[in-house]
Amino acid sequence: MLLYPISLIGLLLLSCILQQFLPALGTWYDARLLILPLVVLCGSATVSTAGMLTLAFLGGFLWDAQQVLLVEQGDEIVYHSSTDSLKFGYSIILYTLMGFLMQGIRPLFQAGKWYLSAILTGVAIFLYLFVEYLLRGFIIGGFSLENGMVEQIGATSILTMMASPFVFWLLFRIADLCGHTISYQKR
Amino acid sequence: MKPLNFVALLLFIAGLVWVFTLSESSVRQIQKSYYSAISPIISKGGETEAFANDFVKEVEHSKDLEKKLTQTSSERDRFRLIAARAWALETENNELRAALDFKKKSKFDVLPARVVRRQPQMWGKTIEINRGSEKGLENSMCVLASNGGLVGRIQLPGDEVSSVLLITDEVSQVSAKVEGTTEVGLVVGRRTTYGEAPRLRLRYLSKNAILRKGMKVYTDGRGDLFPADIPIGTIEDFEVGPVYGEAEILPSVNFSNLQTVFVIAYSSGD
Repeated sequence: MLLYPISLIGLLLLSCILQQFLPALGTWYDARLLILPLVVLCGSATVSTAGMLTLAFLGGFLWDAQQVLLVEQGDEIVYHSSTDSLKFGYSIILYTLMGFLMQGIRPLFQAGKWYLSAILTGVAIFLYLFVEYLLRGFIIGGFSLENGMVEQIGATSILTMMASPFVFWLLFRIADLCGHTISYQKR
Repeated sequence: MKPLNFVALLLFIAGLVWVFTLSESSVRQIQKSYYSAISPIISKGGETEAFANDFVKEVEHSKDLEKKLTQTSSERDRFRLIAARAWALETENNELRAALDFKKKSKFDVLPARVVRRQPQMWGKTIEINRGSEKGLENSMCVLASNGGLVGRIQLPGDEVSSVLLITDEVSQVSAKVEGTTEVGLVVGRRTTYGEAPRLRLRYLSKNAILRKGMKVYTDGRGDLFPADIPIGTIEDFEVGPVYGEAEILPSVNFSNLQTVFVIAYSSGD
């Protein structure tokens, strides 16, 4: 019963390692494949709410451990202007919201319409990055939408979305091996 | 609600409360542990990135030649830096001599490091270098380019690799002065997107500052973060705001082509 969720956590850790090998595509809007968030999203569609919360917590924790910038302040008299950055743990909340989004169409996913979930991963990644961008601006104090930001976020979302069928396929394989049923069953 | 989901929700909320109430030192410790754990992977990841870049550029070098070239480039960059510092020290020395002051000069001991990854984050402007706490690197150590220009400071030292926060990041601040004037302010990074050249702003200048394009901006050594007299860039434009003046700065470092950087291992003043 617990084999599949444990395997998912293992896959999450693997994706964390894999993420280190995926550079930005300088030739295409600096887009990058966000494999760790993708595993959280795809995994969320295959488990219960409790599993999704666990995935979101672990995924967000790992993501922030790498992404949150903690800047040491100098003398306050000289460095009087605030340099706050996003609080450690913010990704957990964003991942959870994305997870609930994926859970929202879980009945369709269980009915075999996995492609809708795959499309939704792209939408969720776009929303996630857009909110993250706005939050950064809000914390630092500059609400500006730079030219090219939408392209960069859009390209990243598309690239990540294109990898989602492979992640779903992998999850189905793991589920088969673990004896876990993902597809819809009438009660 | 199912009992399992309810329990999971309670645990999730408890976890969130724990994470959001972590002290800064605890978060730093978590990040350091994480970073140390993935250090070897980052080095390999950096190699993959470098390999991909090399492939795209269709540059073909034999490994031996490349190794020798890297070594030579590193040495050349190191000598360039030493020459740049020597020039700055000579100028300082002349000034001191002119003032008949024989104070002890400040000294830099630099540690060369190779950039293993550029822009590992989606938004944050950082690089990763192949030196870490094993080589004595510590948080907030100053990082220079081969031309002596300011690159940033160590943000997260791992065992074998370290993350460097570039001065072009939005959360970076550097106390700076404008050459030939009494103007001081804070240099902050500006938000940019793909393909856009990094930009800096010098804030909190006086409204009646007389600044011209091309004037040089240096660190002023205040605030305990950066040593004095490290080049940051040159003034491109000056605008007068309602309270303060602000200048656009062209960085002295080409951030897109950083290969070797130098960490100031220690600095001792007078």
